[in-house]
Amino acid sequence: MINALVNIGLAHFLILSLILFLTGLLGVLISRNMLRTVMSLFIMSVSAVINFAAFGYYCDKSMENANMISVFVLIFAVIQTIIALVILYKIYQANEFLDAEKIKDKEN
Amino acid sequence: MVTNLIYFYFLFFATICCALGIIFAPMMYLSAISLFLFVCFSSLIYLYLNSVYLSVFQFILCGLFLSVYLFLLIKKIGRINLRLGLAPASKIIVSSIFVLLFGALFVLYFLQEFDSSLYSFFNAVVEKSFDAVNFKHYLYPLSLVGIFVLVSAAVLRVFLDNSLTHEQQKENEENCS
Repeated sequence: MINALVNIGLAHFLILSLILFLTGLLGVLISRNMLRTVMSLFIMSVSAVINFAAFGYYCDKSMENANMISVFVLIFAVIQTIIALVILYKIYQANEFLDAEKIKDKEN
Repeated sequence: MVTNLIYFYFLFFATICCALGIIFAPMMYLSAISLFLFVCFSSLIYLYLNSVYLSVFQFILCGLFLSVYLFLLIKKIGRINLRLGLAPASKIIVSSIFVLLFGALFVLYFLQEFDSSLYSFFNAVVEKSFDAVNFKHYLYPLSLVGIFVLVSAAVLRVFLDNSLTHEQQKENEENCS
């Protein structure tokens, strides 16, 4: 048990990535404010990047493939976040609030 | 060895705490600060994994650009001191159970598959890809991605502006009548 904690390997990073992914998923499910939902989606994307980087470090010695995939994932995560923020800003201009449940009620 | 271990566990718990801070922070500005710290700590994790380029890239793109943009946006809409609420308790409990079940399923799958197929699958992908990969070769498609994003953002903005003005015109007409 102590050996597993001391010898840091791929599994440690995969556990970190899993915890971050689940935290992000929980954030998407429970937050009412849409800005926070977007931030939670960003956490999920970063967890995927950590996964790729860890696999690259421990399996692919040249690191090129993993770095490439990670950079692409990161770019798409940032793009998704920025586009979501722009949409949220427009929604705010139209409604004056960003509470998902209020917007749903207003639509109904 | 010990320093390395302490450094890893510090990053491990700091990243998780920042992620939890984003979700459970009571005020909006605390959530934004947590996001910035989350980006910094995850960049340090990439540094730990020898991905220097990725680490710098994330710090510049997310830490210096995305976080600042988010902070300015919150300030612009006057929501920097907004109190953030969570969903009702029942929804939180159901969501937590769902997330825990999902995590348990993932761990079970991982334990079953990890020793054989996941490793071999990744190795197969690496071996099949060409041997001498130069990172500079990928800069061209990256620039294409950047251009594509800028164009799509511009189109999206025009589209949203049009739909908003259309809605406002409709509302004005309704008010006049």
